[in-house]
Amino acid sequence: MLASRVFSLVGRRSISTSLCLRAHGHAGVVKAEEYTLPSYVDRRDVPLPEVAFVRDLSAQQKALKEKEKASWSALSAEEKVELYRIKFNETYAEMNKGTNEWKTILGGVLFFLGVTGIILIWQKHFMYGAIPHTFSEEWVSAQTKRMLDMRVNPLEGISAQWDFDKNEWKK
Amino acid sequence: MANHMQFGFQDASSPIMEELMKFHDHALMTALAICSLVLYLLTAMLTEKLSSNTVNAQEIELVWTILPAAVLIMLALPSLQILYMMDEINEPDLTLKAIGHQWYWSYEYTDFKDLLFDSYMTPTADLPLGHFRLLEVDHRVVVPMESPVRVIVTADDVLHSWAVPSLGVKTDAIPGRLNQTSFTVSRPGVFYGQCSEICGANHSFMPIVVESVPLANFESWSSLMSS
Repeated sequence: MLASRVFSLVGRRSISTSLCLRAHGHAGVVKAEEYTLPSYVDRRDVPLPEVAFVRDLSAQQKALKEKEKASWSALSAEEKVELYRIKFNETYAEMNKGTNEWKTILGGVLFFLGVTGIILIWQKHFMYGAIPHTFSEEWVSAQTKRMLDMRVNPLEGISAQWDFDKNEWKK
Repeated sequence: MANHMQFGFQDASSPIMEELMKFHDHALMTALAICSLVLYLLTAMLTEKLSSNTVNAQEIELVWTILPAAVLIMLALPSLQILYMMDEINEPDLTLKAIGHQWYWSYEYTDFKDLLFDSYMTPTADLPLGHFRLLEVDHRVVVPMESPVRVIVTADDVLHSWAVPSLGVKTDAIPGRLNQTSFTVSRPGVFYGQCSEICGANHSFMPIVVESVPLANFESWSSLMSS
């Protein structure tokens, strides 16, 4: 009980707030000044907004609204579209269409990855000294042989992958 | 020691480490399941195939409280089991002391005769061909295999930590404090570890090497070192 009463204080306000964020940029049509007043929003999950999109109808639009009160088959296609645009800002197709933002983002990410790569290559070439002599091929093969002789990780590791009878790596 | 570019655990050389590996598999699978579910839900929401305008959801709230609690219990029980397993009274055959210094370990075997020695890392320039860089030491910690061993770990100056991953051992060395750990090495071999608590400039250069040998070999080594 208390939860639902708290919700009706907080929830409706938060829904209206989030709806109002979408209603920007419709110059002079419906402004979201007072969050508690009914507002217009283009949202898939709010199919019937609280108010119509166009608040102040021109004379022509008022005439069209009068015509709407009669039989709808008398309306032409353009008139029906005009009536839709009075009620709603965007169609569902316009509301749902994607943007090209992903291209910008991907480009930015790849660019910075590239910059990082250039920094790393520059560091390796100009800054770092030689690696220890224990990375030479001679040393690594002697080291690997020693690991096998010592039976390092004989259960599932390197010594388990060497065939000690045939003296070769297991297939 | 680890292979080149090794990603997972080294093979277990003590029963406790085997248990830890099994638990890690279990915990990792749980984490994988949860992460897969979250990733799926996230993708569904971001591609607008999943949305909700529910505001009163008692049933699902109950489910997503009880289920995580069950998962946590499934993680806690094996974890605690291993924790208690580690602390079982196990009557060790041998007790040795590992004392951390800057920057070497010293070991004391004082059960029978007094055997004390220092264990310094072999510098890279002095390594024989094929030996392991930054891992080899001049004197290894030799223990008899298949015998419970107790190690008392402490430090002489700053914090260190005595760790051998293959045995599932990591114990902090704290000045003025004696920490006890124990292990039983299941097989003969040489097991490497490194100091695991930052202790100054050469923290990366004070490794630990445990060599487990049959009892007879341990006895002859012990006599040789004591003389």
